[in-house]
Amino acid sequence: MSDVALRISNVGMRFGGLWALNEVSFDVERGAVLGLIGPNGSGKTTLMNVISGVYKPTAGEVTYGGKRIADVPTHAVCHLGIARTFQIVKPFASLSVRENVAVGAMYGRYGAKRSTRESFERAQELLDVVGLARVAERPASDLTIPDRKRLEVAKALALDPDVLLLDEVMAGLNATEVDEALDLLRSVNARGVTLIVVEHLMKAIVSISTTIVVLAEGRKIAQGAPADVLGSPQVIEAYLGSRWVKRQEQLAVIEAERIEAKRLQPPEAGA
Amino acid sequence: MNQATLKRIGLGGITGNPIAFAVVLGLMALLLAIPLTHNGYIEVVFRNILMYAAMAYGWNLIGGYTGYVSFGNVAFFGIGAYCSAVLATHGVDNVLLYVLLAMAVCAAFAAVVGFPVLRLKGHYFGIATLGVALAVADIIANLDVLGGTGGLALHQVDEAHFSLYYYAMWLVTLGSMLGTFFIARSKLGYAFVAIRENEDAAAVLGISATRYKIVAWAISAMMAGAAGAVFAPANGFIDPSITFAIDSNVFPIVMTILGGIGTVAGPFIGALLLAGANELLQRFFVKAHTLFFGAMIVLIVLLLPRGLVWLFGLRGGVRAWLKSLAVYKA
Repeated sequence: MSDVALRISNVGMRFGGLWALNEVSFDVERGAVLGLIGPNGSGKTTLMNVISGVYKPTAGEVTYGGKRIADVPTHAVCHLGIARTFQIVKPFASLSVRENVAVGAMYGRYGAKRSTRESFERAQELLDVVGLARVAERPASDLTIPDRKRLEVAKALALDPDVLLLDEVMAGLNATEVDEALDLLRSVNARGVTLIVVEHLMKAIVSISTTIVVLAEGRKIAQGAPADVLGSPQVIEAYLGSRWVKRQEQLAVIEAERIEAKRLQPPEAGA
Repeated sequence: MNQATLKRIGLGGITGNPIAFAVVLGLMALLLAIPLTHNGYIEVVFRNILMYAAMAYGWNLIGGYTGYVSFGNVAFFGIGAYCSAVLATHGVDNVLLYVLLAMAVCAAFAAVVGFPVLRLKGHYFGIATLGVALAVADIIANLDVLGGTGGLALHQVDEAHFSLYYYAMWLVTLGSMLGTFFIARSKLGYAFVAIRENEDAAAVLGISATRYKIVAWAISAMMAGAAGAVFAPANGFIDPSITFAIDSNVFPIVMTILGGIGTVAGPFIGALLLAGANELLQRFFVKAHTLFFGAMIVLIVLLLPRGLVWLFGLRGGVRAWLKSLAVYKA
């Protein structure tokens, strides 16, 4: 099962004087769920943009099945089997929800083989999957934020991807909705779709990911199984700051000294 | 009722309100009877309405459906007119051939010019297309083969041909209308609208924006070119100032917007109303007609910001309409 789907090697992305990504490398195995986390501004969305071909990286490359993504025009990336959602949702406002999804089915990976009618049927199936069938006829601009996130997922699924990049699809959802979203993602993954999930909700990301990659200030600072990564001092430092880590260390020393002092103290006389 | 619902009112999906479309088809059928009046003036008025409608359908495809506001479609009208003029002066007397040649030349020209021009967005695209129109007019005015500024005289228009050209224009308009209807419902129409709504999001869904923009502009050019190809022989004489008139550039845009941008019924309704009103005002107010004409356009834009087609879908009477205006002013 160690079949590499996506290889990110030494990717750097510079905006003016800022390296938003710097020498980031990791592999994504086929069928895996890779969680991508990091504090705000750590480069998660930039990396998603590089992987989906929206940005051409300044350094390094992303390859999918041996093909450099930077060589493929943006509109052809989904034909390779890579689909994404946007953190800032981008529905086609004047089209209905079903039409929005149908556009993906028409022009995505297998779009050329589908007629307009088949695309609409496929769109309806996907709306059932993500739970938007009840608002299929409504204009996309009418949707609430959680529903717009669902629409983003449905549009991405309509492209029939092998690799699905999800950029904060659970932000703004309540606990029940997060559970529903996780079930949805699990079922998508069970059908063999590799997932790359960017999310701030730790609970969600820990429960679904097989591997977690942590970015901080554009660099990869940790990679591994969820439990190992979250316990790593570097990750804690990235999220909570070096002063917090120092304070924790000082507290630990004080606590250790207190315990040590208590142990050395002779038992009270007069017992 | 929020803005999004309002956008949808009267538009009824990608082809627009079906009642409006049915009404327009009915009006088209009535227009078939115009030559029976044997009144040359009326026939010319309605032939011009049909001509503007065809050009408006052309503009609607690129400006309305694809969201790229072109100020250069008159170039295709002119090129179409010169295509048939060249054929006519070489002894070809066949309107179908005129139209086919004009469509082929215009589509090819739009594709070649569109390749660099359609990479531009927003205002820059508009300015570049205006430049194309001005350049084409100047080039033709300086080509002696095409008569230069003196223009080209085609054959004399006799009684029998007069109605033939009317019916030819009618067919061009019907073709543009039905073409718009079927294109809008097809995959192509959804690509155009996706590009209009969000070009980046469209690209991520697998739509090559450059390719489909060029396709939209080429079809748009074919409609304008076909109208020009019938206009030239019907008019009997063309020169650069007639074929590249500012009216022929601005009217189709205003007509589409007033009728209902991005709908199948809108361009025809706009053309009928605007060209008809223009003609009537000219008759009754010889000097001040442009004043009334301008006031009419301003009123329609203020009272029906989504175009006249909106009226067909408006539910809830005057109150709903006033409410909707408040939203648009906000």
